[in-house]
Amino acid sequence: MSEQETRYRSTRDLPSLHLLGTGTPMCAGCGGLEALHQIYDQLGERSLILNAAGCMTLLAVYPYTPFRGSWLYTAMASAPAGAQGARDALDILVAQGRLPPEEDLRVVVLTGDGSAYGMGLSATSGAIERGLDFLYIVYDNEGYANTGQQYSGATPHAALTATSRLGAGFPGEKKDLFAIWVAHRPAYAATVIGAEPLDLARKVEQALAIRGPKLLLALAPCPTGWDFDPQRTVEIGRLAVQTGVWPLKEYRDGQVVHTKVPRERKPVEDYLRTQGRFRHLFEPERQDALIAAWKARVGTYWASVET
Amino acid sequence: MYRIRFHGRGGQGMKTASRILGSALFSTGFEVQDAPRYGAERRGAPIFAYVRASRAPIDERGVIQRPDLVLVADDSLIPVPAAGVLAGIDAHGLLLIRSAEPAERWRERLNAAARVIVLPITEPLLDRAALPQVGATCAGAAARLLGVVPAEALAAGIEAELGGLGARVVERNLAEAMAAYQAMAPLAGAVSEDGEIAATDYHPPDWVDLPFETARVSAPAIHAALTSELVDTGLWRSLRPEIDYDLCKGCWWVCSSLCPDGAIHVENGRPVIDYDHCKGCLVCLAVCPPHAISAHTEAVTPCAESS
Repeated sequence: MSEQETRYRSTRDLPSLHLLGTGTPMCAGCGGLEALHQIYDQLGERSLILNAAGCMTLLAVYPYTPFRGSWLYTAMASAPAGAQGARDALDILVAQGRLPPEEDLRVVVLTGDGSAYGMGLSATSGAIERGLDFLYIVYDNEGYANTGQQYSGATPHAALTATSRLGAGFPGEKKDLFAIWVAHRPAYAATVIGAEPLDLARKVEQALAIRGPKLLLALAPCPTGWDFDPQRTVEIGRLAVQTGVWPLKEYRDGQVVHTKVPRERKPVEDYLRTQGRFRHLFEPERQDALIAAWKARVGTYWASVET
Repeated sequence: MYRIRFHGRGGQGMKTASRILGSALFSTGFEVQDAPRYGAERRGAPIFAYVRASRAPIDERGVIQRPDLVLVADDSLIPVPAAGVLAGIDAHGLLLIRSAEPAERWRERLNAAARVIVLPITEPLLDRAALPQVGATCAGAAARLLGVVPAEALAAGIEAELGGLGARVVERNLAEAMAAYQAMAPLAGAVSEDGEIAATDYHPPDWVDLPFETARVSAPAIHAALTSELVDTGLWRSLRPEIDYDLCKGCWWVCSSLCPDGAIHVENGRPVIDYDHCKGCLVCLAVCPPHAISAHTEAVTPCAESS
């Protein structure tokens, strides 16, 4: 987005009034909550959140809610289907004159990676295919963090999880959910991270201005599941961007644009070393092959971007 | 039967403590139950775990109501009603508090019938990486206070529970547990078993009968927004961030945007921390450009005491 088009020209333009309520049961230092509260600053009360089961189900435990507007809880695979129903119901109410158009609500799915990368994929694909006008927010903490960090479709290679504890960690590869969305040719898709609030604010602004299916995919550093001190959430988020592990990009008008390209990428090891889930790559013996595989994966990605 | 409760905060290893002690007692020949108890709360929130051990099969189920031994890993929990630290402890019981303050002061403060002892903390804990070892410390102290667990059984319990995390983790925890085991030597066997509890001993909770009301009256909050702010997640905090306004440059968009909980609001261009809801993750301290934020150990304020 060019500077002329955005309200957020510098960090000074970020919202100083925070709309999401405090007092939620998310862990201290939650990277997902950090991204959500920044997104909600722009979303506000005229929204209907459809929450797929996950950590953030706990945001609204009756009778407490941090939201100013509506919230609905669905099973893990069903949030996009719920969004379709909610959108249709709102459209009917408006068409029948029972809801003034200015009181219409924005329909928003809030989901973790367990649902977004796995169980909810089919329903999500269907909703995009139908051109549903909804915002789809993913807090990607790279595992089933709510139940103790079992691996999910978003778990990166070699990470230790509750279900991949031994030897070299998780043997699989992290799916590319951004690419899966882009393959559907949605209205908008972007990767974000709470540690980069300006980039995030511009993307939320962009997404809210477009009708149709829109993805905001937030990497969510998780002190509990990734094993690091809660105060390092932002540092680790910034490192994910600076090392090239988490590319910040957006898709619109048929084009993928990288919004923050690290001029000189920091070594991937700087990111891996911050987290207990990768400690076995360095202790007791250094696992050169696994580290080299990580470097190669990140290098290959950026080589394809830079040519 | 021995009935032991461990009280701490999520992340301090209370569940691990109950597992270690349970395994140690089991290998000594006891029948054992151990279980953690927590709700939707996360790291930092009050939790407890409990162990029953008996030479005969255990038919008792549920939370321990009348403990023989209560261990408190974090003395800031004692004034928190929701933590229920003192629940059911009578003259027969022993209360062990990890604290920087002497036992005499706790006896005066609590005026409890139970015997109160302190496991002294010499230095305030500013490195939370050491927090999980608090669990091993508590397990070691409990083992010696029971007087029926040999040191070898305690070591075997630690190996059984933590062996999967690597030799270094086992070594560190073993050192902490054995130090506490030695420290409690003068009080070996200070805890005595209590008898079976019969159904006739059961005292029903102090229920309050409420007349039936219409849903609109009995559940009015269901339509309310921002009710999560009624939850004081500030009670989760073990370290308190404080802003030095002489150093603060007023760049509120850094700390206020990056605080995961949105617990830093902006007043007259300056950031203000909401201590009712700040969970003490210390992200603000880590990101503050002029280093105007420092961390302070939460403790019971002495001024609250009367002479």
